[in-house]
Parts: sequence; C-alpha cells; structure tokens
Amino acid sequence: MLGRILTGTNVLEKSLDAALLRNETISQNIANADTPGYKRKTVAFEEYLNDATASIKGIRTRQEHIPVGARNVMDIDIKVSEDKSSLSMRLDENNVDIENEMAQMAKNTIKYYLLTQKISSDFSKIKSAIKEGR
Amino acid sequence: MGYFSSLDISSSALTAQRLRMDTISQNIANVNTTRTENGQPYRRKTVLFEEKSSTGSFSEYLESSMRGKNAGAGVRVTGIVEDTSPFKRVYDPGHPDADEEGYVLMPNVDVITEMVNMISATRAYEANITSINTTKGMAMKALEIGR
Repeated sequence: MLGRILTGTNVLEKSLDAALLRNETISQNIANADTPGYKRKTVAFEEYLNDATASIKGIRTRQEHIPVGARNVMDIDIKVSEDKSSLSMRLDENNVDIENEMAQMAKNTIKYYLLTQKISSDFSKIKSAIKEGR
Repeated sequence: MGYFSSLDISSSALTAQRLRMDTISQNIANVNTTRTENGQPYRRKTVLFEEKSSTGSFSEYLESSMRGKNAGAGVRVTGIVEDTSPFKRVYDPGHPDADEEGYVLMPNVDVITEMVNMISATRAYEANITSINTTKGMAMKALEIGR
C-alpha cells in the first residue's frame, strides 16, 4: 500500500540524482575552463525520462528482448557524455563557455530546489493522511 | 557521485588556479632579474593544466565501469614549464651584465600579459567558488527533505 503511494516520488528521486550528477559535471566543466583540449561534458536524462514515460509499451515475451517504450523509471541509467559537436571558438581546442556553464548551473540549482520542495510536500501530504488530517 | 565529489572537483580547480597565480606573481617579481642560478636571465614560467579523470582507486574504476562514464575528478597541474621565447635585448652599457656592445639580455616577461593572465586566473577562481557555494546550497536543501 505504502509502496503504491510512494511510486510518484520515484521520478522525483531519479530526477534529483540526475540534477546532482549534472551539478558535478558542470563543476568539472568550470574546473577545466582553462585546460587545453578539454571538451565539455553533458548529462542526458530528460530524453530518457521522456522515453520511459511513453504511452506505448512493448511486451517482452523473452528475457533477451530489448525493452521498447515505457519502463520503470528507476531502471534509467543517467549517462555523462562528451560534447564534441559544439564549436570550439578557442585556439586551445577547449569548448567550455564559462557564461553558459554558470547559467546551466543556476538553472540546475533552481530545478534541484523545485524537486526537493515537491518531494517534501509529497511526504507531508502522506503524513497528513496518516494523521487523518489532524 | 555525491556532493563531496563535486566539492573535490571545485577545490582541485582552486588549487590549480592558485598555483597559476603564484607563477604569475613569480614572473612579475622577476621582470628585471638578469641573473639567475644558471647565469642566464630569468625565464618566464607557465603552468600546464590537465583534466583529472580519476583518482585511480578501485572503487572508482568499479563505479565508472558499472555506470558508464563519470564526470571526472577535476583538474591537475602536470608541471611548470619555462617559456622558451627569446630574451629582450636592451641597450644599457652601464649595466654590470652588459655584453661588449653594451646590450643587456632582459627576461622574456611581458608585464601586460601577466596582468591579463592574472585577471583570467582570478575570474576562474571566483567561478569555482560560486560552484562550491551552489553545491553547498543544494546539499543544505536536500537535508530539508521530509522536514
């Protein structure tokens, strides 16, 4: 019963994990803003989340089948990838844009705060239900 | 993954930028040094930065192979190298280090370049401080979950 109540927080938990990893990645990018040849790193999560929450779901009759469509949010693995595509405007082949990284960091922090607030309010709702609204 | 690795990354960058600052100070301090230990004028020094991908511990290798790639472990200074560009020749016959023609070899330090590098190092340092404060803010916010 409680498990079913708490399934909604799974997505929030996973999103918090992703935001934390993204914070780490942005820190790494800022730390290496002056390293020659360094390529900036990004975290892909929202795309995977979109795929996982799709409305269609492929039925797997065998264990070897590749999962298609909707799947458990907790199974998403958050990946760090190198951004080699973005234009390198610098002579040292480093493609970190410090202003962009700071903006991304601010965005990520706001998202993190939002998620913590949402998770807190979810828990307080459950608490309220347990206490019968008293 | 975790708050502490983010803080480690940022602090490694702080260390690196501080070392860069020390080197710049050394260059500016020796802008007129015509004689060093090896008898030559002072050569400008620069630091080399390299991305630190892992500390090499077993747990980190295990984690990175299980989770694909990880964000990395900050930045490290691989060495301090000397600038091999030629020395400046200045005509000053009264100088004790002047050659027969009256020219003195001055260090290959350009004060303006050093000043610009210093501003760059300061800004990079500030950016990493901001990053540390952001991570700290996130950690404090996470402690409030369930309050």
